[in-house]
Amino acid sequence: MTAIVLDRLTLGYDGEPAVVAANGAFAMGRSTAIVGPNGSGKSTLLKALAGRLKPLGGAVRLQGLTQRDIAYLPQEAGMDRDFPITLADHVALGFERRLGLFRGLGAAERARLAQALEWVGLKGLEQRPIRSLSGGQFQRALFARVVVQDAPVILLDEPFAGLDDEATVDLVQIIDRWRAERRSLVIVLHDLGLARALSDETLIMGRGAPAWGPTADVLTPDHLRPTQTTSPGLTGDAA
Amino acid sequence: MIAEAALRGAAAGGIALAFGGGPLGVLLVARRMSLSGDALSHGILPGAALAYLLCGPNPWALTVGALAAALAVTGASSLLARSRRLPEDAAFAVIYLPALALGVLMLAHHADPEALEAMLFGAASGLDRSGLFLAAGAASVTLIALALFARGFIAESVDPGSLSVERKTGAILHLLLMMLVALNLVAGFRAFGALMTVGLMMIPAAAARFWARGYGGQALAAIVISAASSIIGLVIAARLDVEPGAVMTLCAAALFAVSAAFGPQGGALIGLRGHGRLEAGAHLP
Repeated sequence: MTAIVLDRLTLGYDGEPAVVAANGAFAMGRSTAIVGPNGSGKSTLLKALAGRLKPLGGAVRLQGLTQRDIAYLPQEAGMDRDFPITLADHVALGFERRLGLFRGLGAAERARLAQALEWVGLKGLEQRPIRSLSGGQFQRALFARVVVQDAPVILLDEPFAGLDDEATVDLVQIIDRWRAERRSLVIVLHDLGLARALSDETLIMGRGAPAWGPTADVLTPDHLRPTQTTSPGLTGDAA
Repeated sequence: MIAEAALRGAAAGGIALAFGGGPLGVLLVARRMSLSGDALSHGILPGAALAYLLCGPNPWALTVGALAAALAVTGASSLLARSRRLPEDAAFAVIYLPALALGVLMLAHHADPEALEAMLFGAASGLDRSGLFLAAGAASVTLIALALFARGFIAESVDPGSLSVERKTGAILHLLLMMLVALNLVAGFRAFGALMTVGLMMIPAAAARFWARGYGGQALAAIVISAASSIIGLVIAARLDVEPGAVMTLCAAALFAVSAAFGPQGGALIGLRGHGRLEAGAHLP
């Protein structure tokens, strides 16, 4: 079964295309890794899947899903960590799509919030302002926000960028839990080892035609060689 | 210039302005939108000037003219910023400076210098009975809107784009925020003038950051500092027999200096100790 179809999808900023006429489908209940060099449009594609970027051409077709069924973990760079709210309030923003703008948090939401903070290892820090969190703690908080969203489709943009091993191990466990729950995952990754460990399928984006298929078939030395037309420029990531 | 009898009413007006402008100012400072508030306040002038030329110094006509100009400046800037060619603060600058210039020219040609001065720097009569009603109304609308849409404002501030793009929730909330700012600036316009009306919104909000860490605490601190600036400023202005707008703004600046020196959240004089404590806790698991 298919979750999301890309139909001749062209994406870009200010009319300059970054992704051109991409076709393909993300399967329901599967985990897809997106790898490729910087500037190949990985984050751009994820933004479009999240509904945060309007396509220049073609379409993202959600199959039996609405935008509310999709949780998105953006790269930290686009977020304002200076805003004066607590960790608990920040994670609770994940309830927005479920509760709308007006309904308050009920007992069920509070329990779910506490559980999410425990899973990501931030229990006890609920009342800390987000500006006082370390980079790793803030990334854990973003994961907790996705946990409370409880969405069938989860998009993660470089979730381990800049994290130490301990944080990476903890957050990989969360992704494993989501996979066990048969949620559909799309994860932009730099580390090919993590891509192998965390995905059923892999999409390699590059300047040539993209390679997309079962991870074991796609993430091969052949596909990653710089002379290969499917994925030029991937040597840096493969090394 | 302000009679002892009117002092109490003016103080009530100042307190009412604080209840709307304080929490709104904190939100603007947190979103790094201080310049937008500044721009919006200057953009009020041509509307107020037109109303003055048409209807004379009628307080309600001035208010309607100012509000119309503020909404026009907000709309024009938003449209310009949405083209993505300009960041929003630059779009505001492009719109509000000509608006200010236009207002000054209109008044310079057709009004007496005193009217121009009142439009730019405010007059005590701006906190009369009608001013008090307007300030109280603006504060009520602001507090209700902030309470209703708190989650949306926070979501849109922390993670821009996180609200539903399909239903344009983020864009609508942004416009609502700018309209609330416009309403509060217009409420203070007759007392503070186009150049000063943003002062009691932004300066107490900036000072509030030294007193509390959360939004609620900062909003409360901004209300107290803004109201105190108004009351102290009114008393001093009455003693000196000058218009109170500029004095109140300077009082807010003085309270900002006190906050920056003694505030428990990073105040310079006790900040070293407080900051060390925050850092020590920041990396606990």
